Amino acid sequence: MSDLSVALPKTIHADTVRKKRRRIRTREDWVMDTVVTIVMIIVIIMTVYPFYYITIQAFNNGMDSTLGGVYFYPRRPTLDNFITLLSDASWGHALLVSIARTVLGTFLGVLVTSAVAYALSFENILFRGIYYKIYIFTMYFGGGIIPFYAVIRTLGLINTFWVYVIPGMLGVYYMLILVNFFQSIPKSLYESAWLDGAGDISVFFRIALPLSKASLATVALFYAVGQWNSWMDSVYYVTKPELRPMAYMMMQIVNKFASAEAVTNAQTMGYAASAMESTTTSLQMAAMVTGVVPILMVYPFLQKYFVKGVMIGSVKG
Amino acid sequence: MTNMKNKPKNKAVLLKRQWALHMILWAGLVYLLIFAYIPMVGIIIAFKEYKLSSGVMGFFTSRWVGLKWFKEFFASPLSGMYIRNTIVLSALKLLVCFPVPILFALMLNEVRSGKFKKLVQTASYLPHFISWIIVSGLCFNMFSSVNGVVNELLLKGGLIDTPLSILYDGKQYWGLAVGTEMWKEMGWNAIIYIAAISGIDSTLYEAAEIDGASRLQRIRYVTLPSLKDIIVIMFILSLGGLVNGNLDQAMMLGNTINRDYSEIINSYVLKIGMANFRFDYAAAVGLMQSLISVALVFSTNALSRKATGAAIY
Repeated sequence: MSDLSVALPKTIHADTVRKKRRRIRTREDWVMDTVVTIVMIIVIIMTVYPFYYITIQAFNNGMDSTLGGVYFYPRRPTLDNFITLLSDASWGHALLVSIARTVLGTFLGVLVTSAVAYALSFENILFRGIYYKIYIFTMYFGGGIIPFYAVIRTLGLINTFWVYVIPGMLGVYYMLILVNFFQSIPKSLYESAWLDGAGDISVFFRIALPLSKASLATVALFYAVGQWNSWMDSVYYVTKPELRPMAYMMMQIVNKFASAEAVTNAQTMGYAASAMESTTTSLQMAAMVTGVVPILMVYPFLQKYFVKGVMIGSVKG
Repeated sequence: MTNMKNKPKNKAVLLKRQWALHMILWAGLVYLLIFAYIPMVGIIIAFKEYKLSSGVMGFFTSRWVGLKWFKEFFASPLSGMYIRNTIVLSALKLLVCFPVPILFALMLNEVRSGKFKKLVQTASYLPHFISWIIVSGLCFNMFSSVNGVVNELLLKGGLIDTPLSILYDGKQYWGLAVGTEMWKEMGWNAIIYIAAISGIDSTLYEAAEIDGASRLQRIRYVTLPSLKDIIVIMFILSLGGLVNGNLDQAMMLGNTINRDYSEIINSYVLKIGMANFRFDYAAAVGLMQSLISVALVFSTNALSRKATGAAIY
């Protein structure tokens, strides 16, 4: 592929490549370019194909899929799997729970984290070093899940929706990313607001936040993905069925599929098992696609921001 | 108001001006006290006889039992297996999942077409954002012994006669765990190296080129030495996480059949604590796990400071 783009002088990109490398391609160049291109194509296939595979399976007739051989496109295209899935009341409800926890958890997470980061970004704030140490210490040491569970229980958060949102509002790592960003805002931008008599809080909402849209988007992405994918909190802190998110339902359906295969594997059940499994399988595919699509729609557009965010976090952390 | 220009020397005046910021920071401290520091104090139940019904106060009021739970763990016939799995899996992941992103970043840097590079990068990040539930769902589909793509391919290629039972064979679990971990995080972990490579002074490459260095030699003598410090730092940072083990992975890909190879200390803690309600015993096992990982991080850090001069603490 890289060879092709060099061969096409019309594109702007090929021009820049030419300017950079005017020398003749040696044999080593040829070998290396070929090897690198092949490896990269393998990486793309290995990363993308599993997702492509579940997508075509999700859009293929469930019974037909059991015959095998559906690798490149749906053989008997249908929307049945999605219709069955989302018309199931418990799945529809779980989707709502997932959306609610993602929206609320992301909003509160970004608000709390950015407020703390804003306060810490002032170099002249008193006791800054002490605050910093107390916050960062929690990144390295924790009590583990057992004492944490006791705290959650004592707070009365067990079996409430809030157990999804409240314990995860302040990610110290994300806070560091934002502190770094707020520090890069020239303080002169704050000053005119101060002269107008605005306090620190209104400067935060009126100036600091609107200037940090890119970093906020990065942190929001991290929070949102975490919320959307989270399932263990539902397993351990919640027993009410109406509080189950999509991720939990997905965990169950994957496990169901797993045990079905374990049974077939042990060969205690014959064909009947695999026929039953087929509906579970295609439903599972539809569920997985539903779980992946929102992420797929968001992250490529935020790529250049989170790459920067990860770097800042690593350098500081 | 936090005016930078006329800094008052008087702390009280400064504090009065910054009160709103301090309120925010104190709210954060209270939050961390509840959700981070109190659980940290709660570790003491590892040395106590603790009932969940006694809540947070029970951390302090319950009876001391010394090292009883630690002794019980080491006396149990299965503890050796959990420790072995934790160590072997961490070591294997360190051996494979740590260098691969570096290699990937180096290779990506050799891709000439900018568009193709971007495409590979975007694709490689995707699995990082996907939960282990989906990853295990994908595994069950790709590796299934009934209609699984991987088995079909191997069968058609004549490499095997009977389908492999990758998901239900303890001996294949370690490979599965390392492979899925690499698949999921390779692209993401390469970000930092890709960024570091793009920050290398281009005159270094030009000089090497004039000296007649081939592309491989330029990687060997320019790129790798420039990455040395960041590699050491990332190694130390990833050590703690790796020793802790991947709980999600163990929960989703582990099953009763491959349990002898898939159960790690962390998943065991969760099972005895949350399923069998033995909170005190589980806390003790969990504490041991954290101590090992902290000790490993600090000793590697000290070693690295001596050997390479790069360290993070």
